[in-house]
Amino acid sequence: MKARAYAAFTVNAFQSRLAYRSAVWSAAFGDLVFIFARIAIWVSVYGAATSTMTDGVTLPQAITYAIIAGPVLYWDFARLLHDVGTAIQTGDVAVYLLKPLHYPAFLLASHIGHFLFELLLVVLPVVVIAGLTYGMVPPASLFHALAFLGYWALSFMMLFALASLAGLAAFWLMTASALEWFLMSIMTLLSGGLVPLWLFPGWLAAIAGHLPFAWVSYYPAAVYLGRLDVSQTLLYFAIGLVWLAVLLGALAWLWTRARHRLIVQGG
Amino acid sequence: MSAIIEVSGVAKTFRQPKRLPGLGGAIRSLFSRDYTEVRAVQDVSFAIAPGEAVGYLGPNGAGKSTMIKMMTGILVPTAGSLSVLGREPHAHRMTNAAEIGVVFGQRSQLWWDLPVRDSFDLHRHIYEVPEARFADNLAFLTTMLGMADYLDRPVRQLSLGQRMRAEIAMALLHDPKILFLDEPTIGLDVVAKDAVRKFLAQINRERGTTIILTTHDLQDIEEICPRLIMVDDGKLLFDGELPRLRAALGSRRRLRLEFGSDPGPITLTTARLVTDDGAAKHFLLDAEDTSILDVLTELGSGYDLKDVTLEEPAIEEVIRTFYQSKPQRAAEAL
Repeated sequence: MKARAYAAFTVNAFQSRLAYRSAVWSAAFGDLVFIFARIAIWVSVYGAATSTMTDGVTLPQAITYAIIAGPVLYWDFARLLHDVGTAIQTGDVAVYLLKPLHYPAFLLASHIGHFLFELLLVVLPVVVIAGLTYGMVPPASLFHALAFLGYWALSFMMLFALASLAGLAAFWLMTASALEWFLMSIMTLLSGGLVPLWLFPGWLAAIAGHLPFAWVSYYPAAVYLGRLDVSQTLLYFAIGLVWLAVLLGALAWLWTRARHRLIVQGG
Repeated sequence: MSAIIEVSGVAKTFRQPKRLPGLGGAIRSLFSRDYTEVRAVQDVSFAIAPGEAVGYLGPNGAGKSTMIKMMTGILVPTAGSLSVLGREPHAHRMTNAAEIGVVFGQRSQLWWDLPVRDSFDLHRHIYEVPEARFADNLAFLTTMLGMADYLDRPVRQLSLGQRMRAEIAMALLHDPKILFLDEPTIGLDVVAKDAVRKFLAQINRERGTTIILTTHDLQDIEEICPRLIMVDDGKLLFDGELPRLRAALGSRRRLRLEFGSDPGPITLTTARLVTDDGAAKHFLLDAEDTSILDVLTELGSGYDLKDVTLEEPAIEEVIRTFYQSKPQRAAEAL
């Protein structure tokens, strides 16, 4: 494969975002308001809660969870959905077929660029401000810190695969916005980004804990806090990899179908 | 030389879900499985040799873009066979894509937010163009297309004419053997159209790049393409050179003779009188090989002849008559 070409897509996506500098400020401000609102909820919950209700999680840990599971892990996948959706709706996706490149790989490369841009210019400043204001606990151990990095990469790939799958569905639905809402609400509930799974009722936590969404927010943040021991951390990482393989397989299959439809039906 | 593109008996039929009118119809069509068949291309055959420049002409909806999409490998024909550079384009999408260049007049391939130069650089990586070759091509194309002053501007700030020149340049950066252009001059002003036409003609002549362009602007064809393929309703109407089209249509030249004084009625065997305004008479030359000299010789020197003008039929007119008399003419021309 042309690694250089795909690396160039990453760099270009990053650079193209620099053209809209004012968007950085509004995104950072929005994230900041959102994270402060969520932290305020935890502060008031902890004011009234007993330790059994919080499952042994301290307030600083809950705040740390909110910061990590929120802005850090939950990147703006709507952009990816929009990219795919409009490319399909306008027929621009044909332009990608005209070039000697693989469209899903192109999407991945350019969204890594968007992700890095947001990480450096939006997420890190927000995390620093929120962390300095409310305090963040460090990773539970060196093992958990390293494991978190692995889980983070897995989280990115998982959300990429989920959003791309939803985006490609636009080939049949002719719009990506219906799926955007669907995915957004599913993610809000099942990823654990808003409410950690340990606060879910047991049966729901059991289900959510085995669906791929949980690897986007819940597991990485839980590993950071040391909620999973060494063997659990490794086990769930392996399960996450299996899920990722399944989703990427589905993505490749759906793309083949979509391409077939495109070249037979003309989009 | 053997053909670089071979199209034989190609047809493309689209199935479109039937839309029923009104809100109730819209809801019903969510569940209905009714399709209308749209035949975009029907039984089209032609072959193109390396280095040719071919104009693919037809009115809107004639199936021009569909044909281009099939040749570039992003649509599969419903019937017939199609080979580009010895390959079936859609089955070898990647290899095919690397050896052709494609420009869509109505669809940009440049990166909107990036300077033109960055789009070109990206293109270099995608097509793995060697550094030196790329630098040469870029320098050549920049001079030829006069892009030097906007190479560093983001694409979104360019005028349509500038953008189209950049699109064409990008499609040529990897030295494609064939350049496909789908309505490359659409929406351009006279100056930009002229620049694009001159450049394409030159690329075809000097670099030997095979050019296939669709258009409904006849001047594109006159200036770039010696050969013309004409389609309508998905069917091939004419394939050949422009003079041959004129001949096939029997398009007649018009001769105007102006006299100092009314010479009275004149009858000639070489030319047919159509209008007689006394001192000015219009004749039609029915035979293709009749020259003015023949007419003047027959006329003799006994007249007070002041002026002679011979008008070639305008290509616009030729084509208009062609389309208007389609069913009968098409059969004769082919």
